[in-house]
Amino acid sequence: MQQIRKVAVIGAGVMGAGIAAQIANAGTPVLLLDIVKPGLADRNAVAAGAVAKMLKTEPAPFMSKDAVKLVEVGNIEDDLGKLAECDWVVEAIIERLDLKQDLYRKIDAVRRPGTAVSSNTSTIPLADLVRGMSDGFQQDFLITHFFNPPRYMRLLEVVAGPASNPQTVAAVSRFSDIALGKTIVNCNDAPGFIANRLGVYWLQVGILEAIDAGLTVEEADAVMGRPFGIPKTGVFGLIDLVGLDLMPHVNASLLGSLPNTDPFHVAQRDLPMLTRMIAEGYTGRKGKGGFYRLNRDGGGRKKEAMDLATGQYRAEQKAELPELAEAGRNLRALLSGTTPAGRYAWRVIGQTLSYAAHIIPQAAGDIEAIDAAMKLGYNWQSGPFELADKIGVDWLIAKLEADGMPVPAMLRIAAGRSFYRVENGKLQALGTDGNYADVVRAPGVLLLEDVKRASKPVLRNGSASVWDIGDGVLCFEFTSKSNSLDEALMSLYGKTIALVQQKYKALVIYNEGRNFSVGANLGLALFAVNIAAWGEIEKLVKAGQDAYRALKYAPFPVVSAPSGMALGGGCEILLHSDAIQMHAETYTGLVECGVGVIPGWGGCTEMLARWQPMLPKGPMPAAAKVFEMVSTAQVSKSAADARAMGILRKNDGITMNRDRLLADAKAKALSLVEGYTPPQPAMITLPGAAGKLAFDAAVQGFRKLGKATEHDVTVAGALATVLSGGDAEPWIPLNEEDVLALERQQFLALLHNSKTLARIEHTLETGKPLRN
Amino acid sequence: MKSVVIAGYARSPFTLSKKGELARVRPDDIAAQVVRALVDRTGVNVADIEDLIMGCAFPEGEQGFNVARLVTQLAGLPQSVAGATLNRFCGSSMYAVHMAAGQIQLGAGEVFICAGIESMTRIPLGGFNPMPNPEIVAKVPAAYISMGDTAENVAQQWGIDRAAQEAFAVRSHTRAAAAQAAGNLDAEIVPIQGKRGGAAKDGCIRPETSAEVLAGLKPAFSATGSVTAGTSSPLTDGAAAVLVCSEEYADAHGLPKLARIKSVAVAGCDPSIMGIGPVAATRKALARAGLTIADIDVVELNEAFASQALACARDLGIRDETLNIDGGAIALGHPLGATGARITGKAASLLARVGGKYALATQCIGGGQGIATILERV
Repeated sequence: MQQIRKVAVIGAGVMGAGIAAQIANAGTPVLLLDIVKPGLADRNAVAAGAVAKMLKTEPAPFMSKDAVKLVEVGNIEDDLGKLAECDWVVEAIIERLDLKQDLYRKIDAVRRPGTAVSSNTSTIPLADLVRGMSDGFQQDFLITHFFNPPRYMRLLEVVAGPASNPQTVAAVSRFSDIALGKTIVNCNDAPGFIANRLGVYWLQVGILEAIDAGLTVEEADAVMGRPFGIPKTGVFGLIDLVGLDLMPHVNASLLGSLPNTDPFHVAQRDLPMLTRMIAEGYTGRKGKGGFYRLNRDGGGRKKEAMDLATGQYRAEQKAELPELAEAGRNLRALLSGTTPAGRYAWRVIGQTLSYAAHIIPQAAGDIEAIDAAMKLGYNWQSGPFELADKIGVDWLIAKLEADGMPVPAMLRIAAGRSFYRVENGKLQALGTDGNYADVVRAPGVLLLEDVKRASKPVLRNGSASVWDIGDGVLCFEFTSKSNSLDEALMSLYGKTIALVQQKYKALVIYNEGRNFSVGANLGLALFAVNIAAWGEIEKLVKAGQDAYRALKYAPFPVVSAPSGMALGGGCEILLHSDAIQMHAETYTGLVECGVGVIPGWGGCTEMLARWQPMLPKGPMPAAAKVFEMVSTAQVSKSAADARAMGILRKNDGITMNRDRLLADAKAKALSLVEGYTPPQPAMITLPGAAGKLAFDAAVQGFRKLGKATEHDVTVAGALATVLSGGDAEPWIPLNEEDVLALERQQFLALLHNSKTLARIEHTLETGKPLRN
Repeated sequence: MKSVVIAGYARSPFTLSKKGELARVRPDDIAAQVVRALVDRTGVNVADIEDLIMGCAFPEGEQGFNVARLVTQLAGLPQSVAGATLNRFCGSSMYAVHMAAGQIQLGAGEVFICAGIESMTRIPLGGFNPMPNPEIVAKVPAAYISMGDTAENVAQQWGIDRAAQEAFAVRSHTRAAAAQAAGNLDAEIVPIQGKRGGAAKDGCIRPETSAEVLAGLKPAFSATGSVTAGTSSPLTDGAAAVLVCSEEYADAHGLPKLARIKSVAVAGCDPSIMGIGPVAATRKALARAGLTIADIDVVELNEAFASQALACARDLGIRDETLNIDGGAIALGHPLGATGARITGKAASLLARVGGKYALATQCIGGGQGIATILERV
């Protein structure tokens, strides 16, 4: 298959620039071109400006500084010839057919035959885009529709035309999947494809029904968010996020291309309020505000929301809806409610699920594509058909009929059944032919969710489960609340180690939670302190250290595979693994100082051991580096950043696609099996009292600058004691146990400090750090 | 006693640490090119050179071992030339001049190269393994005080407000930029070429700096303080060297005599206000020369920080028109070990340009010291 080694992106707007950044994040050189702006000396100013702007954008489009260097900027007048060096050209210019086709002709004249060309259009059909273009161009052309922001949104809608060469489509899809980390959803060449057609319909219905029901925006979002597994931004919060001005634009485009019989037309009505808000610059978060705004008049920061009845801003009102109390567990109760909120829930969800069924088979041939599009493009926890299963298909049909709402063919097909079922441990989906078929994962995709459907855990307790993922590899999964780490979890490590030694080859530590682990169970720690169970606490700290050391020195390979946050104790697991296979979007670090303690499960020790060989000789450099990171609770902003922090080592890997993480981790573990020997314990040279003095002086400097609080100084002092090795001699290396003992001693000392306890309590209550 | 003269001066461009063009060049490579150029430009007979004395504030890593001796090799000097590295922090290479003068007057040599070196990119401030002694701190808490804190202390105790510091920083940049534009720095600069980088002109000067820009900066060392990055000398990479010989030797061999060394001094002071060190050192040197500050036509007072430079200028009664005529370290940069050779060489060179008789070069030194040299036009 054709390899993609270099890519060009034409159009350096938010989408084009973001796509270029993600290609660079994948380690692939990318050419970013835009027009020459008249009157500017730098002919590449537009593209260069887009890159400069991305360096200041949060969340960051780039994963690392090295990625930035992979973007070469240029302009479409001087640099089109360079397209001949590229294997894929992504067009992301303004949504105008004439301009796009003009550009395509120029691209076609310079590209190598076989170079894929794709458009990031969200509204123009492929058939229109390729009309009149050369046969060769049509063969190499497809639509690749990214979502904003391209680094973080996992969905990529791919549309191939009748003339598209399947090999070209496969090459682009494979690169987008493996290198860019996107989940490919194949769509038909239908208006708005899947996610925007269904998503914008849902938003539009969400606005209209809220106005009709007389709900506030806060109430509407409270109903349409969490209860349905939809982000808490609901409808109005999401419109603020994507931009109010985008709505009329996408609406108009969809209305223009969808037949009059399409329900999309029904969900339309003039909204003078929206028009006025856009005209006044209330375009959402990118403008002066939207349905919600932060009123800074008079130097204040007042949260306000739009009153849908009066069209005026008023103070934000928290939604008080008793009908939501049970909503998470009983969707039918919410949907059959007779209150305005209940009616709203039903009107919006009923119409949206009905429309989801309506667009089959026009927009997509199967329910999985539509569910995937809404989960990955709109961050819904469940897709519309999964939601329909939760609600009950027959119940849904009956209620739609009762309310005189359409029941499309796909819903009728599912009558008396469900859209998904598990058969012989395999997930199956209902097809348009009325038959169930196995949900097939792409080669190289291994999901624990599938393993769990097909088997029982080989070990389990209240905090963790262990699964056989085949080929002699076990997978250790955290199952505790928020994947927090506790004594039960630690004790299961011991049993797991014994089991692997008996019957298996290797262990992978992995889970499919939103976060790998945010660290130790602080609530339990606080409870133990409050009852002054100091002996128990010391035992817990020691048990954690022992469990992690047992993993490190187990006679088989242990590979950790984090995604999302891996903080504190969650990071310490990584540090004790033989190898790490890290999802690109992993945010990891030793953050203990934020809650007033220090890493106590070997984090200090392992981080010192990692840094010591990488820095100049002597006792200070590694200790100083680790002190800087840990005292400031530094967290990586990507896997690439975790490498810069020394958490990822040379032989550790990064997986771009979340769905490929477990398979990659398993392969890494198996690659270590042959001739495996446990690591040699590190000897760590530390400075002793001189180092402590130097670290304390540095912290005093931060205190003077107002960057460190009084308790920060105390906590950093305890950390300084550990990282300087206590009363170590700078020429006598310490062994790991010496440093671990210091970790325990200083950890416990801090737990005796009331200001540390205040920090822990505050974090448990608010989820935020206390700066005392 | 033998009369001792400065018979030549050269330096590398000074560029910003990490961001500048010399960041990827080893400090010993920079210093060797400066020494070679000094030798070539003066035409001194290399066989007559007794010793290369190299000042360096953090003599480790690539400027470690005995870098002075190693630079003699890199610069292609004969094996007969000896080399010694010395450390008096920022006063290091000025003290190299003092040592050479003393050796000459002792009859222990006729010609010396006195150089200074510092890559603040490649060897961190404090060195790789700073290991302060708790016993000293128990006795003298400020023994290892950070330089920024001393700048704040001086600003406070001498009542130098932020606006005055910023006006002084603008003065430094304006003068340095004007000197650069007029070509007044060209003669002293040796273009440096390394494998991974090189520089032909100074890189720290910001001609566009204004009081408004500086007023927008955050305090660099204390939230309630007045010292900012803009009123401090930047971390800098560079090297400098002067040729020091007996006046007899210069006459006999036709070497230029930029200035005669009239008197020298060092003095200690409270480490917490180290920036005031030049006052005591200068007073001693003036007394030894039998001069007063009114006799001095050219002053090179190192600008570690605007606050301490202003405090010293005020206490010593330095006239503004004599002070740092081509700008100072706030604009030009301050590669610690190299600065002493730069300002001594610069003061000597300026005497002829301004038609003056006496020059003063003086510096503050971390840990609480000052150093001063008084030069006389020949």
